Amino acid sequence: MGLEQYQGDMGMCCRCSACKFIPMQKVKGAEYSYACPSIARYNYHAYSGGGRLNIGAAMLKNGFNYTDKLLDIVYNCQMCGACGVSCNYAMDMEVLEPINEFRLKCVEDGKTNPALDKVIAGLRKTGSMVPAKSKRGDWAAGLNIKDATKEKVDVLFHVGCQTSFNKDMWKLAKATAKILQKAGVNFGIAGDAETCCGGRAYQMGYKEDFLKQAKKNMSMIKKAGVKTLVTGCADGYQAFKVLYDKFDLKGNLEVLHISEYIDRLIKAGKLKMKKKVNISVTYHDPCRLGRLGEPWIHWEGKKVPGDRFVFDPPKEYRRGTKGVYEPPRDVLKSIPGIKLTEMTRIKEYSWCCGAGGGVNESNPDFAKWTAHERIKEAVSTGAEAIVTACPWCEKTFNEAIKESGSSLKVYDIVELVEKAI
Amino acid sequence: MALSKEIYKEFEDVVGEENICADPAIMPAYYSTEFAAVILPKNTAEVQAIVKLCNKNKLKFRPICTGWSGMFPKGIILLDLRRMNHIIEINEKNMYAVVEPYVISAELQAELMKRGLNFCIKGAGTNCSAMLRGHGHMDQTTSGDDRNHLAIEWVTPEGDIVRSGALGSTDEWFCGDGPGPSLRSILTSAVPPGVTPGVFTKAALKLYHWPGPSSFPVVGQSPKYTLSEIPANTMARYYSFPSVEKMWQAELKIGESEISYELMGFNAAMVACNITTCNEEEEEIFARISKEVQGPGFFVIIAGNSPEDFVYKKKVLQMIVKEAGGKSLKTVEDPEIEGILLCQCIRISASIRETFRAGGAFNSIPIMGQRDLTIKWAIGAGKAKEPLIKKGFIVDDGGAFFGWGVEQGHLGKTEIFCKFDPSNPVAKKAVEEWQKEQTARAFTERYFASTMGPQDKIGPALLNYNLWWNKLVKALDPNGVSPEGGTLV
Amino acid sequence: MIEKEKLVKIVGAGNVSYEQAMLDEYSSDMSFVNAVRPACVVKPNNAGDIQKIVNLANETFTPLVPVSSGPPHFRGDTVPGTGGAVIVDLSGMKKIINVDRARRVAMVEPGVTFGELIPAAEKEGLRLNMPLLPRKSKTVIGSMLEREPVIMPKYQWDISDPLACVEVIFGTGDEFRTGQAAGPGTVKEQWAVGGVQKAPYGPGVASWHRLIQGAQGTLGIVTWASMRCEILPSLEEPFVVGSSNLDTLLEMASWLIRLRMVNECFILNNTNLAAIFAKKWPKDYRNLKDALPTWTLFYTVAGYEYLPEERVSSHIKGVTDITQRLGVEAVKAAGGVSANEILKAVQQPSGEPYWKLRYKGACEDIFFLTIYDKLEGQIGVMNDLAEKAGYPASDMGVYIQPIVQGTGCHCEFNLFYDRGNPSELNRVKELSTLAVKNLMAKGAFFSRPYGETTGMIINRDAASIAVLKKLKKMFDPNHVMNPGKVGF
Repeated sequence: MGLEQYQGDMGMCCRCSACKFIPMQKVKGAEYSYACPSIARYNYHAYSGGGRLNIGAAMLKNGFNYTDKLLDIVYNCQMCGACGVSCNYAMDMEVLEPINEFRLKCVEDGKTNPALDKVIAGLRKTGSMVPAKSKRGDWAAGLNIKDATKEKVDVLFHVGCQTSFNKDMWKLAKATAKILQKAGVNFGIAGDAETCCGGRAYQMGYKEDFLKQAKKNMSMIKKAGVKTLVTGCADGYQAFKVLYDKFDLKGNLEVLHISEYIDRLIKAGKLKMKKKVNISVTYHDPCRLGRLGEPWIHWEGKKVPGDRFVFDPPKEYRRGTKGVYEPPRDVLKSIPGIKLTEMTRIKEYSWCCGAGGGVNESNPDFAKWTAHERIKEAVSTGAEAIVTACPWCEKTFNEAIKESGSSLKVYDIVELVEKAI
Repeated sequence: MALSKEIYKEFEDVVGEENICADPAIMPAYYSTEFAAVILPKNTAEVQAIVKLCNKNKLKFRPICTGWSGMFPKGIILLDLRRMNHIIEINEKNMYAVVEPYVISAELQAELMKRGLNFCIKGAGTNCSAMLRGHGHMDQTTSGDDRNHLAIEWVTPEGDIVRSGALGSTDEWFCGDGPGPSLRSILTSAVPPGVTPGVFTKAALKLYHWPGPSSFPVVGQSPKYTLSEIPANTMARYYSFPSVEKMWQAELKIGESEISYELMGFNAAMVACNITTCNEEEEEIFARISKEVQGPGFFVIIAGNSPEDFVYKKKVLQMIVKEAGGKSLKTVEDPEIEGILLCQCIRISASIRETFRAGGAFNSIPIMGQRDLTIKWAIGAGKAKEPLIKKGFIVDDGGAFFGWGVEQGHLGKTEIFCKFDPSNPVAKKAVEEWQKEQTARAFTERYFASTMGPQDKIGPALLNYNLWWNKLVKALDPNGVSPEGGTLV
Repeated sequence: MIEKEKLVKIVGAGNVSYEQAMLDEYSSDMSFVNAVRPACVVKPNNAGDIQKIVNLANETFTPLVPVSSGPPHFRGDTVPGTGGAVIVDLSGMKKIINVDRARRVAMVEPGVTFGELIPAAEKEGLRLNMPLLPRKSKTVIGSMLEREPVIMPKYQWDISDPLACVEVIFGTGDEFRTGQAAGPGTVKEQWAVGGVQKAPYGPGVASWHRLIQGAQGTLGIVTWASMRCEILPSLEEPFVVGSSNLDTLLEMASWLIRLRMVNECFILNNTNLAAIFAKKWPKDYRNLKDALPTWTLFYTVAGYEYLPEERVSSHIKGVTDITQRLGVEAVKAAGGVSANEILKAVQQPSGEPYWKLRYKGACEDIFFLTIYDKLEGQIGVMNDLAEKAGYPASDMGVYIQPIVQGTGCHCEFNLFYDRGNPSELNRVKELSTLAVKNLMAKGAFFSRPYGETTGMIINRDAASIAVLKKLKKMFDPNHVMNPGKVGF
């Protein structure tokens, strides 16, 4: 198990460098052709998806030699999955999974990053990935929102750590609540019973902590009898929808991102975009809502001996095809006055905001650098604002904008919907 | 083979701390070789300084761009040219573009298409350096090999900067030849390793007209991208023929009539590779298409400069195909498939799906030159694949070869490969033997001499060109700092 | 010095000459290089002869000067650069070895002229991509080895075109064949399996033919060469476009070539067109000059095997889109010269006397490569220099030839003069040197350095020359091959 199961995949890497770039037919010119923030920043091939696979394969063969440089390579990766999408356009092989396994192995072997250790220590103590200076439900004061652990609700709104504990992000939770209320949805929050989804802990390599969190959440959800979970955080979305499913913890829980849910409500006539919101925007696909939000595929099989790298039963790869791309766009398009101009790197080949994989915590400079690149791209579209669907993306963009002095605004999709209803 | 602290510092002084690394952690990503260091120069001046230091300290170096393959002796310094990624100039009127080594073909092509231009995309794929010498799908229009370079900026193994042709005495890139004899005779590869020693830091590339849209209207989600519409005055078709002779007749006439933008002699297996999104689908589609084709064939793209031009070219194509008994493959007439192939053959240059997807490795014998002659040889090489297919060592592609016309059929290229699983030692050996045998047969039967063959036999048979080349390399590289070896990318 | 007996043994007594009259012929030419008398003239019969001569030259350190074309010569490259030289006159090697329609290639010995090859090619349905009106005695190999510009830029994919492969005896005496011709097997063995000698690159990763071109015989002596040929059109429609605005014509030419709509394509000024087409001198010449537009762009639209009329008509429509956009008109004649006349003329070598000599008996060519944008400025410089030197600019011929599918331009100034008039001769000589200097300062690239200005040209690119010198040392260690040329 672990990394060994991906030995064949890692051996398939032929060093074509596709993983460093967005899909070739999507390249629009000299700019915005890079897909992988890690090699874009650090330049050595080792930092690319393919480079990581080559390293993994070599270490499996020759033994694991953990040097500072190796750990620098391992932890300076947002685990954004862009490498896999570009690779899997042409190749049938796992890319992000072995990269992920390598990180899990590092943590297992005690080769952790001190900054991430600190975050996990906080998680173990408070159930939050961000410093928990208040209570989870504090943002909802005075809003008359049901407690899903006490009352029956159709939808559990999972708020998430960033939104719950970062006062700058409370507006997202409030906007979401307002929208759901306007649409007449029977929803509630878990308040203090909500705990971190564990998704970011998994990205950072702390599998056991992730599993603990997952089990806690699913126990609460089961107890509350919730059938549908809606979240505004892409990390949370991917955790519940994909990771929990991967580890057979999700059960029949329906998991939706708020943008998907709003899209559904609009199309069902339950939400009407009445007011004009005159703003030109560009939309940033969060990695974990987009390419990594694709449903998990349960598969077990063996390689068919012979000339091809094929399996019995045939293996279906997650190539980023089925991520959530259209619903947020449909929502934006339904808001009168919004002018949407796409960036070059979008949908399954979107450029990461920089915050994922623990980079936000372990190397904030790199996270900011990545965000700067995205801000530049957004500005190049002529849009006044960049819209996204994840508080981590928002936070990172805001930090980069503050530093650069750009006049670009950052909105979460729920903020614009709130303006329109 | 570690660099001493002093020598490491000398290189660090040139490129900065971040841009040199000797840590073994990064090495497996670079061919599992124990390099003395990997250095990332930013520009020509830094390359020159590094090369001079190598001469001073008697160290060997090898440059790469995207770095697909190569041969790297232990202890060598690897110059990773990744930071040299600028398009220096696009001169539309004089039809050339100047690039640094790490501009990839997709980037340059996208910029060119906006301007109604195109260039030779190499078969290695648009994910590779635009500077490469090489051949690709569009050679019918965009030529190939060493015929697309104009002026080249070259840091010699001794650390001198040579600018060929007009660039040496003016600031112009349009001509790489002279004064007097042309240095393009020896500046014959875009980026070493493997060929001209030293480092090419910039090159001017010849451009061609692109009658198509400023960008392809690509829709869909990876891995299934297609075109929302076939661009105006453009058509792509696959034709199969009753025999190799008929196919060649049609190919020749298409070249002579100058109607095709691209003529790619795909076999049915390669069509299947390109239009499918996974191995299983590929097997299924290949089985289906194999029944639909009547024999060998090719893929053609017609692109008119105007509606009249398009009508004319289409008419002539149909006449030629009919005369040769050709049959259009219905699958490719489907606009969705037609769009996929247009994209694959123009924007991607196919390769990865065709080569690595199946088993993870392929061994190939590519030959540039006289098409009808190399086809003759390839038929035999294809037959020799059949026993390997039967034994399950290689992917069943019908034992086919492929190739294409270059410069409207004036020149050509033929290639045949075996796709296999490199972790299967028996298969690997069988493929290597096939490669050796067929290369040797080409030599003894006088079709061509692949320079991959044993130099002690090939050299003398080709008038000891290898001895002249070795002499040249010694003259250019007296300190032996820029060793050859391996393919370039 | 090679002994006479040894030379006679190789080529036969009739092919070795020490006669003064004969030697005088090779001592000088139409250029301004110093006259240097050779020691003798040798006419080899075949490659074997040449190899033996080269070996002897190495043994005795005798300079060899290869010549393939007949007189008059213009560049100074066939005048010995040093005393005691042996002229290796290849003009008698006149075999047309092979013309292959299917593979569009021809193969000839060094002495074959355009006039001799054209009909042989035509017989097979092929044509050559020719320079503009070469003189009757000009050989095909001589032209290709000099990288002379060709009049169908569409078919010049690379500056080395139309040259394909060569067989050469290097200055070391080693035999070598470039490109596909290298092997495996002899040329005959290659033919036996259906091979022709066409792919120019190699053997190995080098493209050795590029080294032989432009070398002016300083690296070796070519014993045969193959060249790519084009198919004879079944239908041709030539046109001319006249204008006083060169920029407009250059813009038009660049699009005609970019869209691959035309075969022949070049620009001549009125002086040159008049020099080519005047029938009676000097009246016709003056009248024509006055009647012709300042600049004339000439091009041909052609059809081949399939639906030639449709092809021509489609291309004409495409051309018309361009002419309308640029505000010019394509016509069938201008100033009394018809496009058909021009086409007929340029598909053959020049009639006699050579067109450049008709006006005043001599001509000095100043030519270089450049890009479209710089051309007008460079022409302006030349005009000023000419006027200052007392040479009326209106008397100067100008020939502009887009090359290599439009990536550059060959620009040529033809200074007609009376060589028998010392003041005219000196004026042109000085003007020529001054022109090279000033044009270089204006970005002109003298890729083919000849005569007295060679030093000036190569001194600007010391780095390239340093590498070339290494190559020279390899291929001609004893410095016997045409010493003093190309800066060697």
